Amino acid sequence: MKKSGPGFREAGGADPIDAALGDRQASPGIGRLDLLLRTRLALGLEATAAPTLVFLPLGVVCGPYGLNLLSSAVLAHLDAVVSVALAALGVFVGLALDLRSREDRRLFLAADVESGVTVVIVAAAVLFLLHSWQAPIDAPASAIALALGIAAAASSGGGADAPAGSFQQLATHIAELDDVMPIVAGGFVIVALGGAPLAETVRLAGLTVVVGLLIAVAGWLLFERAHDPAERGVFVLGALLLLGGAAAYLSLSPLLTGLVAGLFWRWSPGRADQIIRNDLQKIQHPLVLLLLLTAGASLEWSRLAIWLIAPFVLFRVTGKLMGAKLATQLAAPLAAADLGAYLLPPGVIGIAFALNVQQVASPVTGAAIVTAVAVGSLVCELLALIEPPGRAEGR
Amino acid sequence: MRRAAALALVLATALLIRGAASGEPLRTAALALGFALIAAALVGDLFERLKLPRVSGYLLLGLLCGPNLANIISRSMARELQVVNGLAIALIALMAGLEINFMRLRPRLAAMARLGGITLMTLYAGLFVVFWATWRWLPIAPHETGLARLAIATLVTIIVASFSPTVTIAVITDTRSRGPLSELTLAVVVLGDLALILSFTVAMQFVHWALGGVGPTQVGVVPRVAWEVVGSLGFGAAVGAVFALYLRYIGRELTLVMLGLCVVLSAVGPRLDFEPLLAALAAGLVVENVTGGGGKALTEAVEQGARPVLIVFFAAAGASLHLDALAVIGVVAVAVAALRLALILGGTALGVRHSGIDPEQGRLVWMGLISQAGVTLGLTIIVAAEYPTWGTNIETLLVALIALHELIGPVLFKWALARSGEIGQMDAVAAVAPGAAPADTPA
Repeated sequence: MKKSGPGFREAGGADPIDAALGDRQASPGIGRLDLLLRTRLALGLEATAAPTLVFLPLGVVCGPYGLNLLSSAVLAHLDAVVSVALAALGVFVGLALDLRSREDRRLFLAADVESGVTVVIVAAAVLFLLHSWQAPIDAPASAIALALGIAAAASSGGGADAPAGSFQQLATHIAELDDVMPIVAGGFVIVALGGAPLAETVRLAGLTVVVGLLIAVAGWLLFERAHDPAERGVFVLGALLLLGGAAAYLSLSPLLTGLVAGLFWRWSPGRADQIIRNDLQKIQHPLVLLLLLTAGASLEWSRLAIWLIAPFVLFRVTGKLMGAKLATQLAAPLAAADLGAYLLPPGVIGIAFALNVQQVASPVTGAAIVTAVAVGSLVCELLALIEPPGRAEGR
Repeated sequence: MRRAAALALVLATALLIRGAASGEPLRTAALALGFALIAAALVGDLFERLKLPRVSGYLLLGLLCGPNLANIISRSMARELQVVNGLAIALIALMAGLEINFMRLRPRLAAMARLGGITLMTLYAGLFVVFWATWRWLPIAPHETGLARLAIATLVTIIVASFSPTVTIAVITDTRSRGPLSELTLAVVVLGDLALILSFTVAMQFVHWALGGVGPTQVGVVPRVAWEVVGSLGFGAAVGAVFALYLRYIGRELTLVMLGLCVVLSAVGPRLDFEPLLAALAAGLVVENVTGGGGKALTEAVEQGARPVLIVFFAAAGASLHLDALAVIGVVAVAVAALRLALILGGTALGVRHSGIDPEQGRLVWMGLISQAGVTLGLTIIVAAEYPTWGTNIETLLVALIALHELIGPVLFKWALARSGEIGQMDAVAAVAPGAAPADTPA
């Protein structure tokens, strides 16, 4: 995902509306207050430095255990929108995956190694702890462990206006690319959580890819030939609704259908990727805001959730640091500690995946996983603020 | 060719997904919306190439893929699609309000009101006389006599006479039409809608009294009607004023804010017994007439926001069309539809002669008054809920009439707009004065 604008960490990159409005001219003293008071930020249309820190707690406040503005009934109505938002995130990730040059492929491999290590460490640790604790669970322990591992593996880099080829740019790019492998693995885990046997799991995961491809081809045939922007908007919105809706209908992963479609549009001839990127960026911030608010409102403090938070944070940090060490073997100019600092902020993909798990898993397991991942991500964002990449570089 | 291939792919995908599901899954909303949006947009485009209204294409796609025929859109999916109904009605009425500029229409307002009034009176009188005379053969409540028969016949007359502001406005917007015929038709359907709300409320109270029951509320008729009409207009005007201030001082994210405004009008209004259509119309009127309109930015926002909402709204309407009702009550429905058409034709001819409207402009207006849709259906549902015995018979008749009128009405109206040369004039006016308020249209 191409990201721009100092300090903005948003899937999909900078909003073109932000660019049109230009840089903020906030006075230093009331800069933060000024940000909060701006209409666009209040509407969720403007990026914040780390949206998780702002909107996740806001979701808790608005949720059923707070002001009840986002009541259980409202959250049920939002389920369809969440599926579409997940598909949109998948599309963003797919659009960002460029493997044409050798350097790109090398960085992609490094990102896969890093995220793979994190998945394995978090999943293995959680699986071991679930067995040791005899935790009260109503889904396969391996599926829960893998779900937490996958949610932990995604990262969100920051500071994208870096010179080409610089350390900062390479590290940010790895942080962007490490979302791909978790989404693919997540496609299998989402099906497995439904309790399907292995052959059926593989068949349904394959169906996820086929559905994503069919919708992508339909979109590709339509986007460039739209008569006017309004019609193009209809096609883009329709394709997104189909990607999210098809996955929701069959209890599959909208992130994976979106990823497949995004990859197809990225690699197919024509301007489909530019069109979808331009149109999606207009709704990028509201979608991120919606996911975070929904996740915040969905938090439920069960014993299982509380048990899972600490291991999630601890082993995520461990996994990211170890993964960074291995990744530096493949991406030579990077130092392990510095790369680890870049990979620490989790962004929204992990939370999005947890919301997807909640849609298909039993209510108890789903709520526990969303709570653990959301709170864990919040803690990781705070850790990233304490240990920003720049400080690690300075040492 | 690419569009046909895309439509085939979308249909194949929908069939694949429906076939792969075991049973009827619960989470159908997004799939239904996505399928309806793309497929109906493509069929609407095909209809436009055939010189037919896009709206008819949306309806036909919904009908063909709906639960009564291909069942790609299942019954539960069709219900999910109706989630946009309230939003669409408010949005359509807001657009109507934005199209009515009193300064421009002032020279013709009195004549328009006369034409509308005469047309409505002709419809009411003609339908009532025929219904009264043929009561024992109508499959509604043939056993009722005296006052009860009078009350029920009045109620049926009022509902059958109703127009569809939503379809009329949708066809005007979709064809980008502007001119005397569009404005005249719009004025008559808005007047008809106002008359419908007033007369339906009074007629329901009359039915309650005639059948010896107690009314749904103990509140008197006049305060209730006043609350519904004046309250709706006041509420809409207030919301419109807030929107006008937003346009003037902030003016960002207009599509999003406009859709949010329509959600407020459609969701909050009914809780206070306000009519969303009237409220949204008032909001649009305030924006257009008090603040001078929102200019090009608002026009673009309306264009961006309205298209998908209208597509889903009409595809959902098509999927919910009860062809079975038409089969059950077909002959009577066709006879009533023919009578209504004849009375509209006669009423407008009479109105044109006595209102001072230019006959050249008025002779095609009847074609814009044929459609019936959501408002009519909503009223029949109210009647059926309160009087299950004969109310459901009215519902069956009206559902069949709506099926007929929804398929015929848009086609006729687009043909009339094409004949009058008004199609595409909205863009022509905008091109002459970009960003400015619409130019005066000759009376």
